[in-house]
Amino acid sequence: MLRKGITESFGAAIHALSASQLTDGVINRSKRMMLDTLGVGLLGTRTAVFNKALKYSQLLTSEHRSSIWGRSEISLPPYYAAFVNGIAVHSMDFDDTWHPATHPSGAVLPALLALVETLPSRPSGLDLLLAFNVGIEVQGRLMRFSREAYNIPERFHPPSVVGVMGSAAASAKLLGLSPSQCRHALAIAASSAGAPLANAATQTKPLHIGNAARRGLEAALLAQIGLEGNPAILDMDSGLGVYYNDYSPSAMPVCASGDFRWILEDQDVAFKRIPAHLAMHWLVDAALEARAELQETAWTFDLSQIQRVTLRVPPSKYINCPLPTTEHQARHSFQFNACSALLDNRVTVASFDQARINRPALKELLSKVQVETPADNQPSFDKMYCEVQIETAQGQSCTARCNTFYGHWRKPLSQEDLVEKFSANASSVLCTEGVEGVIDVVENIEKVTEGSVLGSYLRMTSNTHEQMYLTRIL
Amino acid sequence: MLSVLQKTIRPVQVVRGVHQSAVQVLKQPAPEDTVTGSFGRFISEIQPQHLSPVVLQRSKRMVLDSIGVGLIGSTTDVFELALQHCQHMYAPDYISSVYGRRDVRLSPTLAAFVNGVATHSMDFDDTWHPATHPSGAVLPAVLALSDMMPASRRPSGLDFLLAFNVGIEIQGRLMRFSNEARNIPKRFHPPTVVGPMGSAAACARLLSLDPSQCSHALAIAASLAGAPMANAATQCKPLHIGNASRLGLEAALLASRGLEASPLVLDAVAGVAGFNAFYEDYVPQPLDSPHDGRAFLLEEQDMGLQGSALPAHLGCTGWQMLQLLSISFLWEVSPDQVRTSCSESHYSKYINRPFPESEHEARHSFQFNACSALLDGEVTVQSFTPAAMSRPELHALLSRVRLEHPHDNPANFNLMYGEVQVTLVGGDILRGRCDTFYGHWRNPLTNESLRKKFRSNAEVVLPSEKVERLVEVVDKLDRLGDCRDLLSQLQ
Repeated sequence: MLRKGITESFGAAIHALSASQLTDGVINRSKRMMLDTLGVGLLGTRTAVFNKALKYSQLLTSEHRSSIWGRSEISLPPYYAAFVNGIAVHSMDFDDTWHPATHPSGAVLPALLALVETLPSRPSGLDLLLAFNVGIEVQGRLMRFSREAYNIPERFHPPSVVGVMGSAAASAKLLGLSPSQCRHALAIAASSAGAPLANAATQTKPLHIGNAARRGLEAALLAQIGLEGNPAILDMDSGLGVYYNDYSPSAMPVCASGDFRWILEDQDVAFKRIPAHLAMHWLVDAALEARAELQETAWTFDLSQIQRVTLRVPPSKYINCPLPTTEHQARHSFQFNACSALLDNRVTVASFDQARINRPALKELLSKVQVETPADNQPSFDKMYCEVQIETAQGQSCTARCNTFYGHWRKPLSQEDLVEKFSANASSVLCTEGVEGVIDVVENIEKVTEGSVLGSYLRMTSNTHEQMYLTRIL
Repeated sequence: MLSVLQKTIRPVQVVRGVHQSAVQVLKQPAPEDTVTGSFGRFISEIQPQHLSPVVLQRSKRMVLDSIGVGLIGSTTDVFELALQHCQHMYAPDYISSVYGRRDVRLSPTLAAFVNGVATHSMDFDDTWHPATHPSGAVLPAVLALSDMMPASRRPSGLDFLLAFNVGIEIQGRLMRFSNEARNIPKRFHPPTVVGPMGSAAACARLLSLDPSQCSHALAIAASLAGAPMANAATQCKPLHIGNASRLGLEAALLASRGLEASPLVLDAVAGVAGFNAFYEDYVPQPLDSPHDGRAFLLEEQDMGLQGSALPAHLGCTGWQMLQLLSISFLWEVSPDQVRTSCSESHYSKYINRPFPESEHEARHSFQFNACSALLDGEVTVQSFTPAAMSRPELHALLSRVRLEHPHDNPANFNLMYGEVQVTLVGGDILRGRCDTFYGHWRNPLTNESLRKKFRSNAEVVLPSEKVERLVEVVDKLDRLGDCRDLLSQLQ
């Protein structure tokens, strides 16, 4: 099969795609993604990992400064703003997930917002929206270069493979690079791709998104000043193909002026209601349902009467953690999420506090959990299910199964619920004006004349929160 | 209970439909039982007295060569581009020196970046076996970090040299985790796989991190490792070393602030790839504690340093040059006398380029290097200028080259050979063969030759007093009280 010119086609497409090709469906979906990403990022600025990265990045100074979400006093060079904001977005595993599986928005939005604040050309909201979608589209295309990518990964963490490419494409778009420069941005970015899965479920995982954002941005900037890489980077097995076991790239269609079929049109993302790995969402829904059933059938619901909890889940080693000790492990633990749901009748942001993780009652319940991986449960976010069976000492047994959780692409969050998630997250650091400002700007982004206005709202912190924060670190 | 410590790794049974009680599933192994933990411990606990005289000597040669190559590399386009990028993006931070640029200082990671780019910009830097370019990934980071440390905490020359050797050692060990690594690579460019790890290790050592922090530095670096071979022979390749250097430094700095990553990143855990994501076959080995008296790899396996005439990919250069030089010298061949020229070398796609278009491609072209040597009687830095590359007589010669790959010539820097056969118009056939070029680890450059190469590189950007002082300082590095003497001579 002749694979000539795939990279070239990508370079051409990134260069040529125009706002007129954005469909309503895509505009709507991508705005939802932007809003969710911002909220999740704002919340994430309160995490330890974010603060470590921030302290580190403050080693640098620059004349170019971009906003740090949720901070009114600090700004950083765009590269580091993209880095720390990207980390914030993924710090709690609360950001969007796509199919085939990756976290697309966190790799792209922080880079674009950092860039938009420094460009003399002053891109509009529509420019921003277009560039965002270019970055998403490129990621979606690259994920489809491999059958392996359709399943929950085992080798490379997908955002580290396609995320940096998406960021490079989006940044190249916003910078207005030529087709050739766009190609080289992709080539340079490829040399920054690929982080092993072993760092998922650790404090370093958020850096995978932070790094994708910043290194893609850097690749585009380097391409802008003339750095060149391999112009056939996507065509070659020894190019992007090195990150896959099966690699079958295909060209992007020519999109000079006609209609363009965006992947986002056909395949929506999932937004999370729980700051944990996507698979946990099926499990929590099933656990809550089983719990409700037990409560109904038993005269008194007493957790101590639970003898055994059986979880039927897809096989995936890195989310099978029977006794998590850190918050990062807890977010990647079938067992933990099921038990939290059973114990508290809900799983929220607060469920992953260290104090909650250490609860004796939780540990006791964890010791009663068994995990099964039925043969018909495929490790794919499009096909998996989760089942929870609770057995009591009295001999009762309640089983519930979830095939599609609320927030999955088959059952998307309503606009109200999405905005509510954003508000709850953003209010943890922004004042009301900031929260409402962001909602308003994103809602109407295609009419906003200056994209950088978003940054100004992201800096409108609530005084109490910032003071609380400052006292805590001193 | 599943133990992860073992010399051969047995895969964990993938659970399918089997009951698994929570308490029976594997617990986290203790750090002392993991390969990752053993690396962390080694980096943290190794002391200067563990450096043998041979290792001291070899590593000082590497430091000297690397600096020289970096200095001349600071005259390249790619370097200029990387530097401009850093300067435009960031204000001058007056901290770490940039090779050969008197008035320029950058933040430590960016200094490591541009100096790393300089080092690899002409493919002139050292090569080891199994194949990687170890020094360029480590030295710039260690230099930048030293510049960053306050005067009271600045390392001595010996501390510096120890950190450097830790960075080299870690890379050597990691290369040995895989049989595939012994051959010329196809998938990931090795400096991008092991380079960041070496840099992280060296910097962790210089920062005196504890064993756990050293392990985390490695794990954080692993998430920054890996670039595809397709970008070799492009202008992007030098950034592979630049990035290795800066990202490893960054990983160490993040670890010093308490960032944590996987404690099993070097161990093989079935179903979740760690560092083995970058390998096809992976057999990790723990590092012995320094107290067990184990030698550094550099003791057993020396470095390949390219002679001053050969700024190009190792596979193209040394071997063929010697044959052709001998042919030219003996027979005084002129280009129009050549009917065909047949080059026999190992099979490696990325250095087989019949008509290279850029300087980077030319450095990765058997054919180009062979013809340059035939034409000029030598291959030097000048051979890769645009003027030299566009000569009609060179093109004429290139069109008459045929490349063959005999089965007995493996794609391996330790075993390959190069052979050239030139058929003249008159029918005469001239042949030359080289098994071990001068500068190969089996036939190392003498100290004199090494210094000559250094001087000719460094003098392009530094005044001769500084050049001489550098030679002196590196020679006495292990006895230097404050490495500032080294740092101040680089620009």
